[in-house]
Amino acid sequence: MTNVEGRATAITVLTPVKPAGRVLLPLVFWVGRNATFTLKKLHMLSFIHFARWIVISRFPDGGRGERLHHPYLFFESNFNGLWDQYIDAFSEVVPARMKGIWGTSYGFPGPIPVEPFKQYIRKNEYVANHYWSAYPGATTTEIISAERVAAAIDDLRSRADGLSPEAFKAAYEQMLIDVQGNL
Amino acid sequence: MSHNVSGQAYALSVLTPILDGHADELRAHLEDLEEGAASPLARVPGTHIARWVVIDDVIYQGAGQRKRDTLTPRLLFSSNFDGELGAYLEGLRTGMAGDADAIWSNCRGYPGHADGPAFAAWMHAHVLEAALFFAAYGGMTVDQVNSNLERRRRLLDLVLDGQGLPPADLKARFMEAFPLR
Repeated sequence: MTNVEGRATAITVLTPVKPAGRVLLPLVFWVGRNATFTLKKLHMLSFIHFARWIVISRFPDGGRGERLHHPYLFFESNFNGLWDQYIDAFSEVVPARMKGIWGTSYGFPGPIPVEPFKQYIRKNEYVANHYWSAYPGATTTEIISAERVAAAIDDLRSRADGLSPEAFKAAYEQMLIDVQGNL
Repeated sequence: MSHNVSGQAYALSVLTPILDGHADELRAHLEDLEEGAASPLARVPGTHIARWVVIDDVIYQGAGQRKRDTLTPRLLFSSNFDGELGAYLEGLRTGMAGDADAIWSNCRGYPGHADGPAFAAWMHAHVLEAALFFAAYGGMTVDQVNSNLERRRRLLDLVLDGQGLPPADLKARFMEAFPLR
């Protein structure tokens, strides 16, 4: 039983949705997909690798699907850091969006104050039985920083053949200044 | 475009019914799998981060909930991977081979990995469509992520080791550390 692989942590949550959610959730997620502010806010939560939401009307069974009394809202996230910090950040940075997404789920206490919200997530969370990452030691920030560093290296490397040792040293030091925030 | 896609990243969610009485056995098997580089998922090309979760039932929210639901136990397999679903499922099938059978043979109707089209059709029949998928670096493949991390690490080594080197030696060390791609 593991929700942790290196520095990556898994959350898997499934909650029953009130009748109103059948109408409202498609709208909420349409806005999420098409108005970039929601995704920009998630980028601000710079410790999330990947996250997804799914509205389940029928649970797949190879045929028409198993239909329960309610639709269910599935959420999973892959993030670096501690569970408590993650929920704190969601509650602080994107409370309106959390309310929009989980507001039609039964039992949702609201994102603020954070303690009842944490209890709600814990109650409805499933622990992964096997969890795997291709880069368990890397945080989201490191991955994005490394892309910037690699681009700067490639740029210098493409010019390096034509530079004298002294000119190379100056360009190398300038590159380090340019990427120092990403090292 | 599919809502399962962000950049070149794909969010795969497969939810399959577990055979009666198999949930505990399946859970124990998943928890005994080797981790890290020895995980069967390490043999599935393009996988960034993935998980299996046994979902025994849905959770009742108390008196406020209109009706109580009961769910046939399900196995969730979710993966964040590079590229197209068809190619990924084929990599899942051939990469995991018998390890796939040891897991999904606990689920209803699983045809086995030996029959490629049947394996793909069974997976497709249990795929869920995301309502919203967020990928912080959806433009980067697994290989690019790991290559960038490695280049960043090598630059840090050079910064530490290269202090005080004459310019010609510094340039030679840089060229050696970062051959043209």
